[in-house]
Amino acid sequence: MTNYIPTIGIEVHVELKTNTKIFSNALNGYGQMANSLTNVIDLGYPGTLPTVNKEVITLAIKAAKVLNCKIRREIHFDRKNYFYPDNPKNFQITQSRTPIGYDGYVEIEVDGIKKKIEIEEMHIEEDTCKSTHRGDKTLLDFNRAGVPLIEIVTKPCISNSTEAKLYLEKLKELLFYSDISDCKMEEGSMRCDANVSIRKNQAAPFGTKCEIKNIGSISNVGLSIEKEIARQAKLLDNGEHFKEQTRRYDDKLGDTVLMRVKETGNDYRYFPEPDIPYLYITDSMIEEVEKTIGMLPDERRKTYIEKGVSEINANKLVQNKPLSDYFNTLLEEKTDFKIASNLLLGDISAYLNKNEKAITETTLTKERFLDLIAKIEDDTLTSRNLKDILETILEETTSIEDIIKEAKIANITDDNALRTIIQKIIATNEESVLDYKAGHDRAIKFFMGQVMKETKGSANPKLAMDILKEELK
Amino acid sequence: MEEKLSREEVLHVANLARIEIDEEEIAMYQVKLKQLLNEIEKVNEVKSYDEEMLICPTDNKCELREDIAGEMLAPKEALKNAPRSSGNYFQVPVVIGESGEAGA
Repeated sequence: MTNYIPTIGIEVHVELKTNTKIFSNALNGYGQMANSLTNVIDLGYPGTLPTVNKEVITLAIKAAKVLNCKIRREIHFDRKNYFYPDNPKNFQITQSRTPIGYDGYVEIEVDGIKKKIEIEEMHIEEDTCKSTHRGDKTLLDFNRAGVPLIEIVTKPCISNSTEAKLYLEKLKELLFYSDISDCKMEEGSMRCDANVSIRKNQAAPFGTKCEIKNIGSISNVGLSIEKEIARQAKLLDNGEHFKEQTRRYDDKLGDTVLMRVKETGNDYRYFPEPDIPYLYITDSMIEEVEKTIGMLPDERRKTYIEKGVSEINANKLVQNKPLSDYFNTLLEEKTDFKIASNLLLGDISAYLNKNEKAITETTLTKERFLDLIAKIEDDTLTSRNLKDILETILEETTSIEDIIKEAKIANITDDNALRTIIQKIIATNEESVLDYKAGHDRAIKFFMGQVMKETKGSANPKLAMDILKEELK
Repeated sequence: MEEKLSREEVLHVANLARIEIDEEEIAMYQVKLKQLLNEIEKVNEVKSYDEEMLICPTDNKCELREDIAGEMLAPKEALKNAPRSSGNYFQVPVVIGESGEAGA
């Protein structure tokens, strides 16, 4: 197969996290009884008029900001006309001429090299109703009709499936972190289409593009792009020409299949929506929105690493927004952030998962957490005896100090007391002493195990190890 | 000679509207649609002083609605005028394969 250069552009639709729909005051909800979240506007009744939801504009401005877009100050809506039962008024209200955001970018990193995935434009539109095909009938649920969407369109600047996946992961993270959308691909609140074309070399004109619609997961975006590149390459190698078309990715086949030969842009006969006058985005609207944008994922990762958290832990924290938000409340404090991240991602996460709780639902206030970190830092607590009292720490409001006292945890930090115990252990385990002297690592582990057993886990590990090594000399 | 749209143009428009038309109608629309377009063309003869497209005849600006829920229809109420329904769903003939889905 000839080596072709792929050109990829990606369109993403995300549903906005609003209380009500974009043009009506019916609730915006998912997973409810069919057709229970509608009114005459969503059903496209004649004579109804759309009113624009303020929160949609706020979230769209926020999205434009976090995607580094310029914001258009005078916008209007347009009608996209088509005849299909998912939209009984026979047009979708969208933005064609004046998308609210344009010229943005999302930065990704491929093998340590940064690349900006350029965003051509992002616009606001309404979602259509959901159609389910059952045998010879199609069932329609209008709960989704009128749910606010933003569509984010990249320039054809993506070179391969890896870049496409990284872009989508980054985009999802940004929108999720800014509370713009919950970005659940499995529930359709984030949907991806990929435009793929290939050409022989950089100097050649762009090839015929095919669009892969509605890909259900980020990994499938990667797979479908690879399959589509291979399909087009095979056709070109055979000297075949093909038309622009819309395809979809079939999970079971593991390949793209034809949906339809594309309707061209003109067929949608866009024209301005006469029922909604011009909308002006003012400086104060933008300033208000800017105030609500918190620390974004990249900045969080950078800050955590600067505070001494490992790269792995920094990434893990960012993947878990509630934990990351909690961690952020510590940033101004003087504490050991490495211990803090280990605790949060280790024993505390295990507890939260097991009990299906959020960190904010525990009794671990910032102050108590700082005390806990200090107790580990000064070896009052070992990870072993922490396990015994963790539940109490997370469920009761007693001070950490008192919980430790109550549990009679007092690490043996008395040199002499520990030395006596260790000497006794060495005296009764001659074989292991020989093992140790022969250079076997397992011997020292065995002795540590014995020390912990003898002291019921209360020996200060570092001290115990130092004494052991001295005594074994 | 009478001005006409091509047969393909008429069929294309019929397809976009998802309607079937017979040979007689095709012939009729070739003429009638062209006449309609000619009428609309006249708008272009108006001298326009402003290059900017006017989308709204008044100076009103778009007022925004607060994001507060209002009354909704009960599913039964919503389905009341549907020619066919199934459970709580509107039912229409199967349309897979020629989707014009806009939001997707």
